[in-house]
Amino acid sequence: MEALEMYTVDPNDDVYTEELKLNLGPQHPSTHGVLRVELKVDGEIITASRCDIGYLHRCAEKIGENVTYLQFTPYTDRMDYLASMNNNLAWSLTVEKLLGVEAPERAQWIRVIVAELNRIASHLIAFGTYGIDIGANTPFFYAFRERESIMALLERPSGARMLYNYVHPGGVAHDIEDGWLEDVLAFCDEFEMRWKEYNTLLSHNAIFIGRTANIGVIPKDMALDYGLTGPVLRASGVSWDLRRDVPYLAPYDDLEFDVPVGEGTHGTLGDCWDRYWVRMREMMESIRIIRQACPRVPAGPFMDKAMNRMYKTPLKPEPGEAYMRCENPRGELGFYVVAEGGTSPIRCRTRAPSFCNLSVLDALLPGTMIADGVAIIGSLDIVLGEVDR
Amino acid sequence: MTSLIAFFEGLGLEGVLALSAAYALCIASLLGFITVYAMFAIWMERKVAAHIQVRYGPMETGAWHGWAQSVADAVKLLFKEDLIPPEGNKFLFWIAPAVVFCGVFAGFIAIPFAEGMQIVDLHLGVFFIMAIASVEVIGVIMAGWASNSKYSLFGAVREAAQVVSYEIPAATALLVPILVVGSFRLGDFNAFQADHGWLVLYNPFLTVAALIYFISSLAGCKRAPFDLPEAESELVSGFHTEYSGMRFSFFFLEEYASMFVAAALTATLFFGGWNLFPWGGGWEPAPLAPVILISKIFFFIFVQMWLRWTLPRLRVDQVMAMGYKYLVPWAFVCLIGAAWFEYMGWGGLFS
Repeated sequence: MEALEMYTVDPNDDVYTEELKLNLGPQHPSTHGVLRVELKVDGEIITASRCDIGYLHRCAEKIGENVTYLQFTPYTDRMDYLASMNNNLAWSLTVEKLLGVEAPERAQWIRVIVAELNRIASHLIAFGTYGIDIGANTPFFYAFRERESIMALLERPSGARMLYNYVHPGGVAHDIEDGWLEDVLAFCDEFEMRWKEYNTLLSHNAIFIGRTANIGVIPKDMALDYGLTGPVLRASGVSWDLRRDVPYLAPYDDLEFDVPVGEGTHGTLGDCWDRYWVRMREMMESIRIIRQACPRVPAGPFMDKAMNRMYKTPLKPEPGEAYMRCENPRGELGFYVVAEGGTSPIRCRTRAPSFCNLSVLDALLPGTMIADGVAIIGSLDIVLGEVDR
Repeated sequence: MTSLIAFFEGLGLEGVLALSAAYALCIASLLGFITVYAMFAIWMERKVAAHIQVRYGPMETGAWHGWAQSVADAVKLLFKEDLIPPEGNKFLFWIAPAVVFCGVFAGFIAIPFAEGMQIVDLHLGVFFIMAIASVEVIGVIMAGWASNSKYSLFGAVREAAQVVSYEIPAATALLVPILVVGSFRLGDFNAFQADHGWLVLYNPFLTVAALIYFISSLAGCKRAPFDLPEAESELVSGFHTEYSGMRFSFFFLEEYASMFVAAALTATLFFGGWNLFPWGGGWEPAPLAPVILISKIFFFIFVQMWLRWTLPRLRVDQVMAMGYKYLVPWAFVCLIGAAWFEYMGWGGLFS
């Protein structure tokens, strides 16, 4: 901030300098959707920022109060549209908790596999778009090539490429076909090779490290204060992962995986590079989980028999409330529903990880340069569909 | 040029008329060359980018590998509506692309493609190209100011800071071969390298100077990793955000033309010009000279594209730090070192 004091602002002079108000977004290549950030800049240095959200508000939570429990599942797809499986899963678990039922074992294992596949796809987008934010266009295409394989894999059981509506309360919508698990395993082998390629191309590039290390540092306390979750929290050195600490699906207990945390490898703990690197390592952990899960998918029903009647007559849960949270690629996604005996909840509330993680942005931006601001927004990896809902 | 004037005088034209006719022909052919080259370079950029990014690039336009894509683009740009921001400065907005293009265009007249195959054989050829290329900055600032857009202004200011800073290492690095050859005339470099081998191998200081010049020329051409003036992810498209249609295409032409000039200087001053082999030459058949030089130029253009699609972008302060902390001192070290070698009379690798 020393640079700021060099200038004097005196409008009575013939020539004077003043702060410039710069609108970043809502239509801007690197705001990852329709985020608008009002920046005050002194030359290239940001002195103040204010986030303006709501451009993608679709009243998803209000809609939830007007549709049946099952009908709300496709709306959750459209919140974090890059991780629809995980959203479906969180919603289904909430409804299951409200009803006091549990999905059959086969469904649980399938859920783990599809959720982890979707996590990889989501992190791939984070990786690719982050490259573009920093100015490297090529990683994006590499990431999309692998994401394409994942979408093709997820299309086979669900019938959709992006908004799956696959994980339903009580199980999964369709059974997986024969040979699907083998193809998933084959993808894992290929992905491991590609992952190394990403690292040679971007992760360890000197310019990339120079642009991201020591930028947008979120110390541990700050991360906890702002209620950050997911990779953004873990990059600050807090080892907290719901999959390990509060397993919401039974199989996570049996699976062996690490929770990557930031180490401050190239600079300060909790900088942009740490957040990036945590995501990269999480992809490999997901691969590890899928590898273990595939051979263990048991035979049996994929949907709870009793729950199946939801498709014929809308379900009327007993009055009560339930809150369930899941480890989404972007952090903890929580759903809170209150039932009063009707076919739809009277309260349906989402705790969106992107929204909470975005709250830290205004604290990080002042004092950085415009280019750093772009790097910081990218490193938080927000999805505006989820921020605004 | 002299021979052209003589040719027109032979046709019966007198003095000024012959001169004007000769210049008109040169300028027309140069314009044609630059346009065709830029179209090819744009197609090449797309193909290089595509193959680096595991895709095909244009494949449909024209029969073979989308060769006509640039032609189609040019036609589209010609017909596009020419938008001028209502709040902007119309005159500056209108003239900026012309200023930008003229600067680079003028640089072409001093490039020798073969013995005598050059529009004007300037004794200060290197100096002229460096000087006239700087005019481009004025046009960019005009464009940024006249657009009445904050992003454009940011781009223009970045461009000004960057190009002015990087001219110092570029010019200093170019002084090293000038010192060794003892001339500013581009033709002399070709003659010298025919006798002594490529200058880049002449002594270690020249090798470093070649590298410094190439890096600085990337910054001068606004190519990645120094493409801050048009940094897409930060400034939308920098100084040409508000431009459309033909005016935009002039900025595009300028970028590729300046890449050509930079690559031509690199090839002529450091990499033997039209001498094919690193250990010298002068024996290559004369008609091959332009082919050799242009292949080298395209190799350097390819390297520029390759870097662009591989590297991330530096930040503004990192660009400045790199220029002033590393390139400028090292360029001066090269200059002094090369002078010392010359003083001691230590010749080159192949002389």
